Amino acid sequence: MFYHISLEHEILLHPQYFGPQLLEKVKTKLYTEVEGTCTGKYGFVIAVTTIDSIGAGLILPGQGFVIYPVKYKAIVFRPFKGEVLDAVVRQVNKVGMFAEIGPLSCFISHHSIPAEMEFCPNVNPQCYKTKDEDVVIHAEGEIRLKIVGTRVDATGIFAIGTLMDDYLGLISN
Amino acid sequence: MAEKTVVISQQNTKPIKISKWKVREGFTISIGTVVFLYDFEKVDIKQQRKFKSPQAGTVCKLIAQEGAIIPPGEVLFELEACIHPTVMKDMCAECGADLRKDDLNSTASVPMIHTVPDLKVSEELAQKLGKADGERLLRDKKLVLLVDLDQTLIHTTNDIIPPNLKDVYHFQLYGPNSPWYHTRLRPGTHQFLNKVSPYFELHICTFGARNYAHRITAILDADERFFSNRVLSRDECFNPTSKTANLKALFPCGDHMVCIIDDREDVWSHATNLIHVKPYHFFKHTGDINAPPGLEKHEHDEKDGIDLSNITPKVDKENGNDEENLPNCDKTTVTEAFSQNEDSEKISENGESQKDSNVEETKEPPDEKTENKPEERTEERKNENAIDVIEVEDPDDYLLYLEDILIRIHKAFYEEYDKLDSGEVPDLKKVIPNVKGQVLKGCKMVFSGLVPTHIKLQHSRAYQVAKSLGADVKQDFEEDTTHLVAVRPGTAKVNAGRRRKNLKIVTPDWLWACAERWERIEEKIFPLNSKGSKNRHPPPHCSSPEHNPNYSIHDTPAQRKRSPSGRFMDTINPLMSFSTADIEDMGKEVEDTLDTESESEEDATKKAPLPIETFDKEDSSSSSGESLTAEMPRGHKRNIDKRNDEDEEELKESEDEFPSTKFRRGEQLDSDLDIGQDSNSEGSAEAPDEIDDGEWNMMGAALEREFLSN
Repeated sequence: MFYHISLEHEILLHPQYFGPQLLEKVKTKLYTEVEGTCTGKYGFVIAVTTIDSIGAGLILPGQGFVIYPVKYKAIVFRPFKGEVLDAVVRQVNKVGMFAEIGPLSCFISHHSIPAEMEFCPNVNPQCYKTKDEDVVIHAEGEIRLKIVGTRVDATGIFAIGTLMDDYLGLISN
Repeated sequence: MAEKTVVISQQNTKPIKISKWKVREGFTISIGTVVFLYDFEKVDIKQQRKFKSPQAGTVCKLIAQEGAIIPPGEVLFELEACIHPTVMKDMCAECGADLRKDDLNSTASVPMIHTVPDLKVSEELAQKLGKADGERLLRDKKLVLLVDLDQTLIHTTNDIIPPNLKDVYHFQLYGPNSPWYHTRLRPGTHQFLNKVSPYFELHICTFGARNYAHRITAILDADERFFSNRVLSRDECFNPTSKTANLKALFPCGDHMVCIIDDREDVWSHATNLIHVKPYHFFKHTGDINAPPGLEKHEHDEKDGIDLSNITPKVDKENGNDEENLPNCDKTTVTEAFSQNEDSEKISENGESQKDSNVEETKEPPDEKTENKPEERTEERKNENAIDVIEVEDPDDYLLYLEDILIRIHKAFYEEYDKLDSGEVPDLKKVIPNVKGQVLKGCKMVFSGLVPTHIKLQHSRAYQVAKSLGADVKQDFEEDTTHLVAVRPGTAKVNAGRRRKNLKIVTPDWLWACAERWERIEEKIFPLNSKGSKNRHPPPHCSSPEHNPNYSIHDTPAQRKRSPSGRFMDTINPLMSFSTADIEDMGKEVEDTLDTESESEEDATKKAPLPIETFDKEDSSSSSGESLTAEMPRGHKRNIDKRNDEDEEELKESEDEFPSTKFRRGEQLDSDLDIGQDSNSEGSAEAPDEIDDGEWNMMGAALEREFLSN
């Protein structure tokens, strides 16, 4: 799910940037340090929308570095158990398939793929398909899945998905 | 497996009426999955409610009937708790349970997918998947082929090379400041993969890092037709020095349909389903850049490979000419004109290159290939979009033979499979040696000068190579002997053999060539002439583990060591590997041999053994895996031989012609060639036991070929 939330981040700035462009530098540094990262609590930080305040800088004694506490708003993506999402299939194999939902990787076990879909290793590219070839899921295909579990680490999130529910599976145009 | 059955019962205080089951028996459900729709009995407001499963697992029995009214506490259905057969990052891929907490245990332990070691499945599931794989392969009449990358299909270097070589790919793996990799595909790689893929399911199995392996796979297989994610790299290997351990995980139902091509046997523990490939060597001074730690081999370094340094300046010069003289020419004419131009230039420059261009035109005879002559490569040039691409002539055509070998194996396997009606599956570990054993079937051989007298015929490598090819080897002539494999003319056996009809006299090179290509090569290509042959020992890739149990024991990888300095010169210094006792033994053995008077007739001029010994040691040894003692007496005889013919002169000549090769070994350029002396001075400093004979032999082989090549 996407959220637009307020977050805080501390920017550590080298003294070489002390000058008229200082605040600009703090902003660009915030963008590069924050966007694209992932925290277990808030999920993936997709984009910083506004920078609300840049607090008073605190110079570290003995080093000269300065710390700016920055408050900003960002769009974050936090997957939840039970959420239904659209994904792009990355790899298909006999154990299941890997899909990506933007920055989030997801694995769907063979058992979580409807039983009528069979793995076909001989065709190129490899795929899961129904007997009558109505539905063919292969790499680069778009699917709708439901998340059944997430592994949230300090640095990333990994999800387990399923296709075993109504309206899940290949998204046909 | 202990299946836990959980009974789910009605928890409400009021009786409920089940209106519709949403699951069937056998369904896998997770926590919160809607199991059925229900409604309370005797309530005025009709409202469908969803019953969500409080547990994950597989529905094994629906007890309550649809439409029935269930009082509180009654059993609704039975659920088999999830046994977490598939686990990804410690998370059950079936029910989403976190296996790190709640002391949940999983049986999943087999990483079945090459590229994702985090994904594990249980033994049972692995067996099931493996079985399905096996059945599918049988149905499609396919086998599994594990393909090694480095020195089997490609050769990669980090050295600086000309940027415009044809069929060489350049890439960086770790960002803009990381080292450049230059990869050359073995000639015919694409054709090889194309031809072989209908018969085999191809897997890559390499010791390269994951990035590297995937990069190379992208080069080899741009549209993922051959390998499609079946890439096992070092990051996924369980054991840093062996690839065998991963086999069990990838093929849980056994490796009886697995065939392996690799340039080294040790990482596969000398498995019999391995086809030992002739290593591909293109860039000089580079071995296998991804050799397992401690198992680097530095063979052929001086000899094989293509001297790119010669090519670059010449091309640059011609580039200038090209653009000045022929600015408006059609592309093809430019190319033609240039190849001629080049030839004439070369002829005027030195006589040697003329010989090479002749070789090129006349399509070099096969025996030259097996001897590994280091041709000076001539380059053809093409003008493409103003970028000059150097096409290097590469005589390596091994993949053609390999393709043939593999297809033969495939055929043999399925012929045998069709014979076994019961649905039994033959084992490639037996089929492959059988196929190999057909090569020289019916040949009855006698060796002359090939096996030292104090070694039993049955223990010699030559014998084992011949045996593995299906030939019958006898100590002496019999009625039906068909081949005499002789190292040099003039031995008693050769003289006797000349009088026999239907006896083909060949050099050992014939045997080695047969072993390399797995086919009976025309004997006429390898006649025994006055010079004889220098390749007494099979090249390392022609070994035959299945007939040589001792070999694998004493040539275990762990024993291979680099010389402390790592220099080529040091590694071939025989004095380093011989203790004084060894040397005394040698002397004694020589005397013994001479006394007993074996096959060699030129022994009269016996010299002081030591310095000469060092000299011819490199010459006679060309294989790994034979004990030192096996070579000593032979060494002496050979050495005396050499004295009689002009080999030594040749050596000198070749040295003069290749100052660069001399320089690379760290010698002074204009000092007289005497490796023996050199090694004397250096050898004392080094520990004598440091070098294993296998490696040492390979070095010797490399040097030997270098000498012989000119």
